Formats: sequence, structure tokens, C-alpha cells
Amino acid sequence: MSFNKVDQRDLYRCVSCGNCRSVCPAFEQTGRESKNTRGRILIIRDVCEGKLDDASVFDSINTCTTCGYCAVTCPAGVHPPDLVEGARCGLVAGGKMTPTQMKIRDTVTQYSNTLGDAGSRLGWLEGTGLVLPENPKAVYFVGCLDTYRYPETAVNTYRILNSMGVGLLNDEKCCASPLLRLGFVNEADALMKHNIDQIKMSGADTIIAGCAGCYNTLKNNYDLDGVNVVTVSEYLVSHLDDLKKSGLGKLDLKITYHDPCHSGRHNNIFDEPRALIHEIVGKDNLIEMATIREKSRCCGGGGGVRSGYNDLSLAMAKRRLEDVPKGVDYIVTTCPLCLRNLRDAGGDIPVIDLIELIKMAKN
Amino acid sequence: MDHYEELKNICEGRITAAPAELCCYAADGSQIKGKPDYVVFPKTTDEVSQVLAYANKHLIPVTTRGAGTGLAGGAVPVRGGILLDMSQMNQILSIDINDIQVTVEPGLVADKLNETLKPYGFFFPPDPGSAATCTIGGQISSNASGMRCVKYGTTKNYVLDLEVVLADGTVIHTGTNCLKSSIGYDLSRLYVGSEGTLGVITKAVLKISPLPKFRKLIMISFPSPENAGLSVSRVFAAGVVPSACEILDKTSVSILTKLDPDVIFPRDGDVVLFEVDGSSKNAVDESAELLASACEEISSSILITDDPVKMKEIWDARRLLGAAVSKLDPTKTRIYVGEDLGVPIQKLPQMIAKVYEITNEIGITPMIYGHVGDGTVHVGLFIDVLDKDEWKKLDIAADRLHLAAIELGGTISSEHGIGAARGMYMEKQCGSAFGVMKAIKKTLDPNGILNPGKLGLS
Repeated sequence: MSFNKVDQRDLYRCVSCGNCRSVCPAFEQTGRESKNTRGRILIIRDVCEGKLDDASVFDSINTCTTCGYCAVTCPAGVHPPDLVEGARCGLVAGGKMTPTQMKIRDTVTQYSNTLGDAGSRLGWLEGTGLVLPENPKAVYFVGCLDTYRYPETAVNTYRILNSMGVGLLNDEKCCASPLLRLGFVNEADALMKHNIDQIKMSGADTIIAGCAGCYNTLKNNYDLDGVNVVTVSEYLVSHLDDLKKSGLGKLDLKITYHDPCHSGRHNNIFDEPRALIHEIVGKDNLIEMATIREKSRCCGGGGGVRSGYNDLSLAMAKRRLEDVPKGVDYIVTTCPLCLRNLRDAGGDIPVIDLIELIKMAKN
Repeated sequence: MDHYEELKNICEGRITAAPAELCCYAADGSQIKGKPDYVVFPKTTDEVSQVLAYANKHLIPVTTRGAGTGLAGGAVPVRGGILLDMSQMNQILSIDINDIQVTVEPGLVADKLNETLKPYGFFFPPDPGSAATCTIGGQISSNASGMRCVKYGTTKNYVLDLEVVLADGTVIHTGTNCLKSSIGYDLSRLYVGSEGTLGVITKAVLKISPLPKFRKLIMISFPSPENAGLSVSRVFAAGVVPSACEILDKTSVSILTKLDPDVIFPRDGDVVLFEVDGSSKNAVDESAELLASACEEISSSILITDDPVKMKEIWDARRLLGAAVSKLDPTKTRIYVGEDLGVPIQKLPQMIAKVYEITNEIGITPMIYGHVGDGTVHVGLFIDVLDKDEWKKLDIAADRLHLAAIELGGTISSEHGIGAARGMYMEKQCGSAFGVMKAIKKTLDPNGILNPGKLGLS
């Protein structure tokens, strides 16, 4: 097996101090050393050195949500999510993967989406009456989940963006995030090349991602040659006057905000969603969770954990719901995967996308 | 039935022998390595007792581990056997404010105890840098301490009673719930720092202290590290007992600045961070002034603050210093060897000079930091881990540093313990007292199953 995507210097920079043990959400639920970052790094070292080569490796490497909290707390500056993804790549290249990984690979490569949905990628647009602008400077990258699971979020997002002259790609496909996170770099390449061609064909200089996972992937894994990648919240904050002119009212609600790891901790998008919430409910009515921003607890959905280890994933989501302050009307987030996992964890407080809050404020 | 099945029955299935799981228990923060054959996760004293009785009967080594944050291999199973992961015995069993004590299980994380005690206005003072992760059991077993121990004392000063399972499974109590007790040999003190070689701690009764109401930080820079070392004696001579007293040499300051550019450290020399605390603002102000005056003549600059945000930023940065060298130079990694020296505080300038002399001769860059208020000198040595020659230099440096500390009448370990990393110096360090330690070990663990290969005992 070749582990050329594992940065050896980063791998051996870890001093096993165990700081990561205090923040790893999977460890918080399992209490197992193999399911925290330090343990995973020791395992990856042994795997790379050819000392460890059996199926017990999977439950360690594949229970990482790649949330990156360990990277924030690591005094040695190690970036463990990269090591985990690199190890997954090496294992996959050597033909070692779980049935769940194989299923996700097959689904995404066959259907070009994570849901295995054979329907039209633009099905959500039908009946909206929205007209696509010609030669838009910015295009909306919808993402698989909003396309197929939450089409109302796609419609509501695009109604606003469309009014600002934003277009769509002719033939968007999965951004390839699930493949990259799970180690299928070759399969991911084909999807990324397709989307890059689509972006080039659109002529746009800005891509607006509706999902934290897509955003992270487009921004950090794509070679977009100068094309700017932003989140919906970033774009709306930069067009706040237009948004206000379109009739953005105030709401008498108490809101809390869940920072998605892949837009927040990985890319420092913390202020923009909060700025929009402040605009709608006022600063005092955004009541923060117990852990926020770069120290925000993960929802447990990312890195393939929701698919591969659903019980663990939901346990992490339930723990995240314990961070919700009392008395709030809604939990707002900006990632459909976080939204889905937090909803499935079964709390009493509705979990909504930020765009739904904006829609309420516009009614 | 084989060992695995027997142990599985005892711990109701909480056991693993999966290769990947075992790999995770083969190391701590030191360079000592060793894989267990089984990892078990006991939840009760009775389970621990049954595991030890079984291991003793079958002569299986047993190594006890909390969070594995040790820096000397104390919890690394160098002879294989059973690894007892105590982290699931993590409950606070009682908080008795009126008796100023708590009873806890050993797997409790240190910070969790203090988070729980804070609303009561109390705390458990020993504060190792790993407090967010390390367990109380690990703290007791290594007599851990930290930045505030110069005033408050180390873990041994807070242990009133321990429930301990002996090698044959017998359960004993080492003390009482009284704040004072004179009942023969102080067995609690015997178990503090014994690193799991004499028994397994399953409960601890700990004394707690009221939280100080006021704190002040005095950050003083000095033109040389020797002057920084000298400042400690001057402060004590002035009648001030600081609640923290941390040296940071120039390299340490550079690393901290890189770690968090927003935290302001003086750039004009070696720094000592002093803190004074107390229940009266006037007394704290007066101590800060006295302290500053005592250092004025030998210092370059003095900054005094009681801004809680600034103080927290500075202390948080300091706590992460140990491994942070990679932020300054990504090709370098901190390796924990020869890192925990201690000397009588009057010998601090000599010890500091010796560290530079040794590392210069060997050609390796050191960083010096530590709780100099109680004579602790942490030496940070960092190398390119992919360069084999640098590893050789590191071993030579560590050996010479340990010997230098002994020659100065100091200690090879102030607070990290001996483990397997420093056992070879025990004879030289302890002299004929080491024979007494061996005799105690033989009496309490005649079959040598408890954490073999540690403290230089076997």
C-alpha cells in the first residue's frame, strides 16, 4: 500500500500529548483511545510502517468526522483530518475499505450524487418560474442534499440569489466531497474535472456554495484558477443592501446558531451567518451555544460517519443538542448535513437552514 | 478458558485485543513503547480486584493507565500483559464542602473536577499542563503538579485517603477522611508517585481549597536566563510566596509569540511570569509591588496586570508551550527526554547555565521553561524526527542533563515521574534508599506483576 498522501512530517510531529483527547467528539461518546485523534495517529503510523494491516483499523480511521477540532487544539500544529483522509486514500488504494465506503463510492459514481437519486438535478427548479440570467458573474452550487432532500431550501436560496443576478451551472454534479473524505481520490477527480469544466463554461467569477461540505471542497480541493468560492451567507452579507431592499423584516425570535465544521473551523466562516441572524432578530436574540466558532462541537455527521456509524453519529448529534441554550425558538445552521443529523437526533427545538429564517423575515 | 475469555467475563465484555486498539495503548508522550496483549476497561473496584487476582495467579503483567498523558512511559506496558484503562471509572462520588474534601474515582479528568468545584468556590490546586485531559489517578500516581504548586503544593499534599487494590486483589484504604491523621506509616504518601507499581488506585479522597478571589500577574523580563533564575530567590527573600512562577527563555518566548501573536510578551530578554493571589485586593496589590521591587535591579522590564482576559491568554499560551515548537519551525518536533529537571532554587542559575553548556556542546537547541518557583527546569529539546543523527544527539543530551541535575543536588524528575525513561538513574539519584524501595516493591508485589519495568525496579 502507498500512503503518499500522508504527510510524514505531520504524522511524526504529533507528540502524543493527548490534548486532542479532550475535544474529539467520537472519543467523547466511545471513550476508546482508538477513536480519538492521538490513537488514530498511532494507528496510521503503524499502518504506514507496515506493522498493522487488519480490519480493526477501519473503525478507528473511519469514525473520524474530520471536524478538525483536534487541529485547533494541537500545540504541535498537526492537522489530523488531512492525516486521516490520507490514510483512507492509502487503504483504498490498497483495496482496503468497508462495505459502506464501497456503497458510497458506487452510488456517487453511478448517480453523480450521494443519494442515489436518478432524478433531474434541476428538478427543484421546475414550477418556480425563475428565469436563469445570461452570462451571470456568479453561480449557485446547490449540492446533492439540497437538490434532492431539501429542494425547498434550494428554491428559497435561489429565489434570493436569482434576484441578484446569480445563475446556475448547466450540469452540476456532486462536488466529490464524500469521495475525497473517504479516500477515493481517483473517482473524485472525474467529478471535479466535470464541475470545473462547467464552472469555466459558465464564465462566472464567483461560486456560491449552499452546503458547508461543498464549500470546503470547492474552495480547498478544486483548482479553479482564480474563481472565488463563497458561502451563501458570505454572498448575502456582501449584498446586504440588496437583500434589505427586497424586504427583509425583523422577527421576534430567539435563535441559536450551529457552526458547521467545514465552513467554520476549516474556513473561518463564523461572522457572516451571525451577521445575517443579527439583522433579522437583533444581536441580543442570537443566544450562542455552549461551544461556538472554532471550538464548536461537531454535529457528528461528517467524514462518512453518518453513513458508516449511524449510532455513533446520532450520539454525537444528541451531545451537540445539549449545547443548545434554553428558551430558543430555532437552531439555525448553514449546512444540510448538519441540519439532517441534528434533526435526526430528535430534539424539541426545530433545526432550520439560515435561508428559512431569511424567508420567514421576508414574508 | 483462555485469558481473554476470563478477563472478558470479569469485566462484562469490556475488553479488547484488536490489533488497532492495542496499538493506541503502546505509547504516551515519551519515547517509551510497548504493546499490551489485552486492554480491559473496569468500572468497579471489584472488577479491578478480580483482574489483579487473576493476573497474579497467572503471572500476567498489569499496567494501569488514566489518559496516557505521561511523559516517562509510566503507563506504557513495556512487558505486555493487561492494560487497565481506568478512564471509565470517572465519577465524582461526593463533594463535602464542609469537610473541604471530595471523593472521586481515578479516571476522572482533572479539569472536570475543577469545573464541578468552581460554583462552590473551591478547587483542587495541583494543575499539570495536561489538566484538560489527564486523570486524577494519573496525577496521584506520578505526584503531578503544575504552575500553581509553588504556593499550593503538589498532589501529595492533597491526598487524604486512597482505596487501593493490591497485587493479589486485596482492597485496602491508605488513610482516613480526616484532615490530619497520625496512624503509623503514611501509606497514602507511599502510593503517591508509585506509578502503579504497588497497587491500583480505585478511589481517592482529596482535600480541596477555596478559590482565591484576586489574582495579579507580574511579567518581568531579564537580560539573561541566569538573572531570571536569580529572581526567584530574591522574591522569596522579600517575603512573597507567588502562586505561580514560570520561567520562559528567549526561545520559549519566540514560540509563544508564534503560537498566539495576539498575546503580548516582552521581546527584550528571558521572562519570568509571576502570579500572586489571595482573598484581599490590598494584600495582592502589596505582594505584586513587593515582588516587582525585589526584581527591579536585575530586570529589563516589568508589566503588572489584573486584567482577567489578558491573564487567561498568557496562561493558556504557556500551558501549550511544551509541544508548540513546531509552530516556530515545522521541521522540528519536541521530544520529551531530559525534560523534567529540578534543583534547589538557589542552584537555578547554575542549572540553567549547565543546560546551555551541554546543549551547545552537543549542537542541539534547547528551550528552557518551567515552574522555577519550586526549582523545576523543563528543558525542551527539539529535532527533525526524520534525521537519525539528531536522535543520537538527543539521547546524549538527555543523559548529561540528568546527571548534571544529580550533581547539583537536584532531581531527575520534578513532576513527570520516572516511568521507564529514567529508571536507569534511580540508583544514582536515591543511593541506598533505592534498596528500601526495592524491598517495599517485593513485599507488596512479590510476583512483580504490577507495572514491571518501571522506576528502575526490574
